[in-house]
Amino acid sequence: MSQKIYILCVEDEADVLDVVVRELSVLEDVFPIETAGSADEAREALARIEAEGDALGVVFCDHMMPGENGVELLVWMREHPDWNVSRKVLLTGQAGLDATVKAVNEAGLSHYIAKPWDQDELVKVAREQLSRYVAARKLNPLPYLKYLVMDIVGDTLRANSASDT
Amino acid sequence: MSKPSFPLKKIIGLVLGLGALILMPFLSLEGLSPSGHVALGIFVMAAVFWILEPIPIYATSMGVILAQVLLLSDQSLVGGWLDRAHEGGYTAPPYTLFYGTLSNPIIILFLGGFSLAAAAEKYALDQNLTRILLKPFGTRPVMVSLGVMMVTGVLSAFMSNTATTAMMMTVAIPIVAMVPKEDPFRRLVALSIPVGANIGGIATPIGTPPNAVALAALARQGTVVPFSTWMLMATPLVVVTMLLTWWGMCRMFKPQIERFELTINTTFDRSPKAIGCYVIFGLTVLLWVTEKLHGVPSGVVAFLPVVFLPAMGILDKKEIRGFSWEVLWLVAGGISMGLSLSQTGLASWMIGQVNWDGFGTLGLVVLFSLVGFTVANLVSHTVSATILVPVAIALVLPLADGDPTALIIPIAVIGIIVSYANILPISTPPNAIALSTGLIDTKDLAKSGILVGILGFIFSIFFGLIVWPHIL
Repeated sequence: MSQKIYILCVEDEADVLDVVVRELSVLEDVFPIETAGSADEAREALARIEAEGDALGVVFCDHMMPGENGVELLVWMREHPDWNVSRKVLLTGQAGLDATVKAVNEAGLSHYIAKPWDQDELVKVAREQLSRYVAARKLNPLPYLKYLVMDIVGDTLRANSASDT
Repeated sequence: MSKPSFPLKKIIGLVLGLGALILMPFLSLEGLSPSGHVALGIFVMAAVFWILEPIPIYATSMGVILAQVLLLSDQSLVGGWLDRAHEGGYTAPPYTLFYGTLSNPIIILFLGGFSLAAAAEKYALDQNLTRILLKPFGTRPVMVSLGVMMVTGVLSAFMSNTATTAMMMTVAIPIVAMVPKEDPFRRLVALSIPVGANIGGIATPIGTPPNAVALAALARQGTVVPFSTWMLMATPLVVVTMLLTWWGMCRMFKPQIERFELTINTTFDRSPKAIGCYVIFGLTVLLWVTEKLHGVPSGVVAFLPVVFLPAMGILDKKEIRGFSWEVLWLVAGGISMGLSLSQTGLASWMIGQVNWDGFGTLGLVVLFSLVGFTVANLVSHTVSATILVPVAIALVLPLADGDPTALIIPIAVIGIIVSYANILPISTPPNAIALSTGLIDTKDLAKSGILVGILGFIFSIFFGLIVWPHIL
């Protein structure tokens, strides 16, 4: 059994979270989705993923949330060894310049999606980021190949497919 | 971080295999020498381990060599049941004989192939050849699929089927994925790649390991098949089965789009090292196919790229480490097992258990091919050939009566038919790659796999009966 690679969606408004999850659900047969309504819930979700021995490929995170904000969560993830390589996407309409700069410099932000977005863009970003995650970790891309971007994982695929048996 | 798993299948495999290894020497099977009992234990363990895979198949091959050195060589551990082999007039061969299988000329031939493939991949020669060879096929979708299948076949005749499939997928899939989902053309192309790779590997001795298994078994009987002779036998068979498969697949997956252009954005690397790579690649292949003219054996020619690619800095340490060394072990273990099968009299004893009268060579070939085809769909092609070929050769040897042609043909047919066993996703690594793209499902693979299997089976035997006697 290969390791499951999760997508995590963090968003405090339940309606918006529903839309994000519904739009990303086209990838769910390969990449299971976890959701969280706050930074604390996100940490709980990450703990569950870790307990199962699985991994997080990409997090889609809102910025303005009650309690700890999105960028702070991403910075925390960057410093955590298990979530360091996970790809980090800010999905927001309200991150100011300072927060955005902090996200890029301190959280290693991978991508920024401004609200409103459309589904094609969201799915495209998810597939690209998941591909970069698989390539960065040099995982065998085969179990996930269906939704990966060949231009990104091509070399990894070739490196993992050498010999006939 | 992946979950530890040790399913029942593996436990059964371990118990059965080790049980056979330990218990066989204590049995007294009628007509089997003591050393034959030991060899039988090793053979059953190897077969069980190779099929149920409690440990990796290449580790099993390494284990075979270890068991032979410890139990059947002049260095065997003395005392107790370990020493049983030496009763009854068995002359234990030097232990270096078993280790030496790793430098068998067939292994060196593959090493040469690995060097060339690594260099071709490093300097994108494979992608550039794909671009050039695909051009004449134009833009009609059915012709594009023929082109993809043929080019994959040509490359996989010299590189591993798996590596060729991965390369073709990386160039073809992004473009094919733009075709509308409901158009069967997507599936046609995604299937053309593994089909081309699986069949194409048959074309040359280095195309795929089962060829090596057949050739090594023949060489042990003193029948060395030159590179060019194998190509002359196998290439027409490959072309015929590929064309018919393509024709059938175009009917099963009829493209809807009118025009399709497979653009590949690569240019030839013109650095001195890249040119060195092209020259050595071309020269080696030229020397291989002209073996009959100059008489230098392919196993000798194969050592030229092994030496010159690193000598000229075209390959470095990193690429040499990247060779599929485990495949060499896999084949070497099989060759080593074959040695003891004949030396201890085990092979003749095994075939003596069945009354083969009235089978004739054709009947034997059909029977072994059927078994080989079935097994090879479920387990590794190399393993299927490794288990069957040594037994088959012991059967055919008396029938051939010293005629090399009568020996080569049945063994080549059996060795080749396992490569046509591609029905399931697990049958070959190229199938697994194709399936994981999500463009096809298991049913599509089975459709093309059954077509390939039937055509391969019929035509391999037809070529063996009608065509090859005129070539050899």
